[in-house]
Order: sequence, then structure tokens, then C-alpha cells
Amino acid sequence: MGRAITFRSVAEMPPLAISLDDISHNKTGSWRYLRPVYRNKIPPCRAGCPAGNDIPRWLALVAEGRLTEAWKTIRENNPFPGITGRVCAHPCEAYCNRKEFDEPIAIAALERHVADEAFALHDEPPSGERRREKIAIVGSGPAGLSCAYFLAKQNYPVTIYEAESQPGGMLRLGIPSYRLPRDVIDKEIDDIVRLGVEIKTGYRVGRDIDLERLWASYDALFIATGAYRSRPLGIPGEELPGVLAGLDVLKAINTGRKISLGERVLVIGGGNTAMDAARTALRLGARVTVIYRRTRAEMPAIPEEIAQAEAEGVEFLFLAAPQKIERVHGRLRVHLIRMQLGEPDKSGRRRPVPLPNSEFVLEADALLKAIGEDPDLDFLAEELETSEGIVIHNERGRLSRAGIFLGGDARTGPSTVVEAIADGKAASKAIQRYLRSPSRTASALLPERFAPEKIKLNTSYFAHQARVPVLELPPEERQHGFAEVKAPLWLEDAIVEAQRCFSCGVCNACDNCRVFCPDVAISRVNGLYHVNLEYCKGCGICAAECPRGCIDLIEEGR
Amino acid sequence: MNRANFVLPEIELMSSGHLGCQGCGGALAMRYVLKALGEKTVIVLPACCWTIIAGPFPYSTLKVPVLHTAFETAAVAASGVRAALDIQGDTETTVVAWAGDGGTVDIGLQSLSGAAERNENILYICYDNEAYMNTGIQRSGATPRFAWTTTTPEKNPKAERKKDIVAIMAAHRIPYTATATIAYPDDLIRKVQKAKSLQGMKFLHILAPCPPGWRIASEDAIKIARLAVQARVFPLYEIEDGERYTLNAPHEREIIPAEEYFKLQGRFAHLGPQEREQMQQEIERNWARLQRLVQMKAPSDDGA
Repeated sequence: MGRAITFRSVAEMPPLAISLDDISHNKTGSWRYLRPVYRNKIPPCRAGCPAGNDIPRWLALVAEGRLTEAWKTIRENNPFPGITGRVCAHPCEAYCNRKEFDEPIAIAALERHVADEAFALHDEPPSGERRREKIAIVGSGPAGLSCAYFLAKQNYPVTIYEAESQPGGMLRLGIPSYRLPRDVIDKEIDDIVRLGVEIKTGYRVGRDIDLERLWASYDALFIATGAYRSRPLGIPGEELPGVLAGLDVLKAINTGRKISLGERVLVIGGGNTAMDAARTALRLGARVTVIYRRTRAEMPAIPEEIAQAEAEGVEFLFLAAPQKIERVHGRLRVHLIRMQLGEPDKSGRRRPVPLPNSEFVLEADALLKAIGEDPDLDFLAEELETSEGIVIHNERGRLSRAGIFLGGDARTGPSTVVEAIADGKAASKAIQRYLRSPSRTASALLPERFAPEKIKLNTSYFAHQARVPVLELPPEERQHGFAEVKAPLWLEDAIVEAQRCFSCGVCNACDNCRVFCPDVAISRVNGLYHVNLEYCKGCGICAAECPRGCIDLIEEGR
Repeated sequence: MNRANFVLPEIELMSSGHLGCQGCGGALAMRYVLKALGEKTVIVLPACCWTIIAGPFPYSTLKVPVLHTAFETAAVAASGVRAALDIQGDTETTVVAWAGDGGTVDIGLQSLSGAAERNENILYICYDNEAYMNTGIQRSGATPRFAWTTTTPEKNPKAERKKDIVAIMAAHRIPYTATATIAYPDDLIRKVQKAKSLQGMKFLHILAPCPPGWRIASEDAIKIARLAVQARVFPLYEIEDGERYTLNAPHEREIIPAEEYFKLQGRFAHLGPQEREQMQQEIERNWARLQRLVQMKAPSDDGA
């Protein structure tokens, strides 16, 4: 087969003009000037995820009903799928290419589904010998736990010091259980403890244990103490009884303390703490109004939280700010002024400015401040400067003393759970680099973000299909308790939803390249494709018909 | 259809190394047809691109018997092969006459009509690249109106409409007539397998884009075939006994303006707005006619 045939005389020729062999000796690869190359790309969802969650890879597993493998895949980049599946702002969905086609994939709901189905599963502790270098982590919020998880996976002994009586940081103290049930937090922290991480609760650094002692006893320190110091309003009357920090109210309720706010509650601020405080106050029986000095469009809270708050009956008063608080006959009298939007400020949002002669008064039983929180790093004071509460530090996270790293909200100021997870992961890598460098030179904590790549999709192979709806508890039922608002997906719905994924830039062995090759030059072995360059003429059909843009055409000779 | 991938028969009866151009629609069509028919197949080839693609003596691209024959004789030569196989008691082997558009709608039309009239038990496949491509892109009866070819240059493009060979074959009331194209390999293979299962004369019209002749990039060969269907330039349908029409594609929601199809092809680059509008109207008329034929009820058996 595949030989060139030469007849040396007429006698050697067959009596009829009949073929003696196939034509495979004719190596048509010599015609080619473009070569197809399979190259998976970083999909936009993954580039949009601070934690670098490999979304199409685990969605493909969900689409086949392989949920245990999906859970393991998520946890390569994110130790908390049950938590982020519920409370993540899911920037991934905003980047999903499917949004141009119909609707983005319900990635968060699917992540939660995977975690719920894996509730009884736990990681195996890593095999191999434990390393000698010990690491202490201060703070057991998402940043500290994430750092511990990734270090423990690499066999490092890790001890976490937590000031509160239970681990979890903002996950437990700041996020109400109607968004994040406590058993989910417990389960995913337990998974980390099972890896051999020790969590010492009731140790506040600077009160119960000295930072210098920690530094002397461990090979590296990671400071992830969060941002808990509520910003003051800076107006007269702020110290009056009935004026509370929204975060303090959340901490009280979330740790099971009883608290009464009265019938009428005002919440000042437009971020996630404001939403959580408002919805919590509502559940305690109050009529609640959120007062924000800009408009709805500028609110930093997750839009979904705003919508849910509104559905539950939280009222909103935009373009207003408090000027003075008085206490009259046991109630608060709050003097406010109307605002209007002026020139854009540093953040790019238009700065609110008071509208002259627009003062008005509201009465309330309680006023909750939720205009932001700052890190409290007094125990580090000599080493660090701060600016507007944000720590100034060297090379993004490395403190001036070698071996101490700073991350999470303590580094960035109040941010999201997934940013904290990403920071913890980056810290785990910086710590490993530090410990492995012979001279113990400190290296920077650099959160890795995948750069999005240009991916040419061929959407001819995709059918329009609506996104699976995520059901919510009816608003009237939510007001009477702290039951979880969002309902889980059914398995059938989860599979169908995962199947909607375009798998942008990630080959899922759909076979189009092999089906459409006019030169029979593409073969498949174990789900991977191989181009036979002896015959490929470089027509480019495989690249053009790849639905997910996994094949590049490169010029020959380059 | 997101993950409803094409699952085609694994068998490959066309070998690499063939002489089709980059992105050859005719080569791909042959690959699919042989996947559908399997090894027990004889191909009868009149003069056409495939005479070249199949390879020079003493080689063959195909792993089934191929009989090269004269331009006008595909259907009658296939009829002869069929008769010879029948005499030998081989009723299993499928005899395929595989001809281009020139060999079908122009040069081979009389022998094709004769075979249809005799209801020969063969499968006649016209792979239509809409001109005499391998001799240098000369116009054929299947070249669309206004298309550039080397014999219908830009200043004097083809004035006549494309010959409706499917209607001609349906008028012979043969058991099965169908259209197919390479962008829909599952549909194509199903139709070939259906044709194989039927006795008597079967005719399959496959639109086979020709990148050099249509002046498109070779990588767009599948895309242009898909656009031809979506633009209703080449709807996919089947006709049983010349009477019962079934429309396969496009669905109403897939339909696109013909301009999407024309604008990708150099052979239509010279078309002015008037010609484009005229083509769009012609497509609408043909579509309306096809819709009527699909809705038309076949006469009931007792009335026949």
C-alpha cells in the first residue's frame, strides 16, 4: 500500500487499465502553506474569575452527570464551591460568551449544585511526607482558609489563629444564613481541617498572642485579618444609642445573639453590608429604608442582592445623606439632605453633592451605618503605613519584614469572597516561593489572573436555549426567618444547563474537525485529535468549523 | 443541538493523497457517500473532477471498484454494471453513477433520462459544483444566473437560470429524488442509506462547493454550503415517487437573506443591487413553489 509504481516495459503493464494500488504514496502535505494546530485557550469565564476556576472543564463533567469529578475539578482552584456557588458575585457569568447568543450559563447555580451533591465527600489528606517548614495564618476568613488549603495540599503544616470562637471570618460573621447556611460553611471548613490544618480559635493576635512570638515560631506568616472596622459617618449624634454599625448587627445575629432594632430602621450605605443589614433588620420585623447618597446605578452591592432586598420589601431612598442625628423621646431623629450627582471622582462614579435647602427629617428606632469597613492592623502599626485605611505595603502583599505576607480584605480593603480566595491562593504560592528560595528572599504576592484570549467561535453548531431559572423562596415567606432564599437546581436541569456551555476555546472532542476533513487527515485517539501532516493540504476547514475555536492555522515555515 | 454532534459511520473508503483541491466539496461528498454505502459499492465515473481526484493509472483513491467511462454515459454504464451484477446473482452491491453537474444536466442528460424511464436499480448522484471546474471553470447548465465563469466573464455573466434537475428527475416519477450538501453530513448520509434501501432509480443532488471555481477561501467550503441552505438557494428536501415532497431544511427560524450567501463568493462580486434583488426574488419564488409542493397532498392510493 502507498507505493509508487513504475512499469519498465509494456509487458509489465496489466492488460486492462486497472488500478494496482491506492494513492496514498502521493503526500499531499507538500501542498500546504497553513498548518492546523490544536491549542486550547483560556475561556473568558475563567479569565473573569479571580480564582481562575476552570469552568468549562467542570461544566463538561456536570453535563455528563459526573458530579464527583466536577467537584474535584472545581477544588483544584477553589476550596469553597458550596460557598461561592451561593455568595460569589460570579463575574464569570458577565464574561460568558453565551450572553451574546441568548443568556449566560448559570455558573454559580451549577457550582452550588455540584457542592450540594458532594456534601458527603471529602478530600483525601495529601500523600507523602510532611514538610518541615511551619506556617501560621492569622485569620480564618476565606483568604486565610484558602491559603491554608493550598499549603496543606502541598504537605505544609499550617496553623490558623482565629480571634473569634468559630472559624470562618466574614463568611460566618458578615453573611447572613439566608444567603449562606451555616452547615455549608462548617462542611467546607471541615474539609480543610481534614487536610491536617489546625485552627486555634479564641486567639486574637496582639491580645492573646504576640505577633513577634508567631514570627519567631513559624517559618512564614500570612496575615488575613479582614476589614472589620466600620467607617464612621462623621456627623453629630453618631455615638447615640440606637446608632449601630451594620456589621456589628450582622455579627450579633449571625452568632446567635438576640437583638432588637425596633419597628423602623434606616440603613446608610449602598454596598453588600448595607444589603445584608437591611434584609436582616427586615427579618427581625422592622420596616427598613436604605439611604444611599448616589443612585441605584452606582450602588456597589451585587445587583442580585439589591433585587432580592427590594422584592422582600426593603425601601430605597437614593440621593440622600444624613447630616445630624438627635435622640428625642427615645427615638432617633435623623436630619438628611438631598444630593445630586456632580463631576466624576477617583472611582469614576459621579460625586454626590448636597442640594442646597433640601433638608428633611426621618424618625427611626435604629440607624445602621454601612458605608464601608477598613482593615484594623494596629497590631502591625510600626511596620506599616496606611492610607485611607488601606495598607501600604511592598510589592503587593509582602510586608517590609521578610516572611510576613498580607492578604484578603486586610490587604485590599473590603472586597468579595472570591477575591479573598484568590488572594489566599496567591499567598500560598508566594510563601512557597519564599520558603524554597535558598536565601529566603521574599517574593511578591501576585494574584494570578488569566489573560482572556481571542477565541473565534462558530455558533452555527449551537441551538438557542433559555437559561435554567433559579427559583427563590417567595418574598412573603422570607420575611419571617432566615431560611435560604435561593432554591437548588434539580439534577436534570443542572445537566441541561451545563450542556449549554459553548466550552469556548476548550476542545470537548465534538468531532467536527474529523468529520469535515476532505483529506481524511484527522484521526482521534483517546479523545485527542491528530493531524496527519503527510496529507493535510491546509484547507483550514477544521479550524473554521471548530465550534469552540480550538484550532489555529499557522503559516508553514514559521 | 449544542452537543448533538455528528456521529458518522467510522468506515473510510476514500484514501488520503487524492487529487482534490484544498477544501474540495466533491471529495468530501464522496467520503460521506461511501461511509453510507460501505464496501459493497461500485462507482461509475464519467468525465468530471472526480476523474482526476480518483488518481491516475495505476492508482485509485477509492477502496471500492471504479469504472471510468465517457462523459455522456454515466447512467447507461451504471445500468450495464447493474445488469451484469444481477446476472451474477449479486443484488447486494449498490451501483452508483457519480457525475458532475455538466455530466448530469448537460452532457449526460439523455442517458440519465433513459435510465430513469426504465427505472434502473441504480443510485445516480450528481455532485454539483455549478460549472465545468476541472477543465477550467466553464459555465454549465447548472451554473447559477449572474455567476462569473471563464466563459461568462464579469462583463457578460450568465443570463440564464440554473437548470432545475431535481424537478426534471421528479417528473420521471422515480422512487426517490433528494437534495443534500456537505454542511449537513448526517442528512446526506441518511438520504444515501435511504436510497440504498429502495429498489429502482434513485437520484441524489449534492451541492459540492468548489473553492477555486466559486472564488472562496478553502476554509469556507462548509460555511458556504450551510449558507446556501439557510439562504434557501439550495433547500434540502426529498421527493418520493415524484410526488411526496418532504422539506428538511432550512427551518423558518434559520432563514437568512441571500446576500449572506452571495457576498462571500468572488464569482458574484460583480453583482449590482438590481441583480442581487432579482436573485432574492427568484429565491423567494422557488421557495414559495417548494412550499406549495410540500403542502400538496399526494393522490390517495384508491384514486390512482
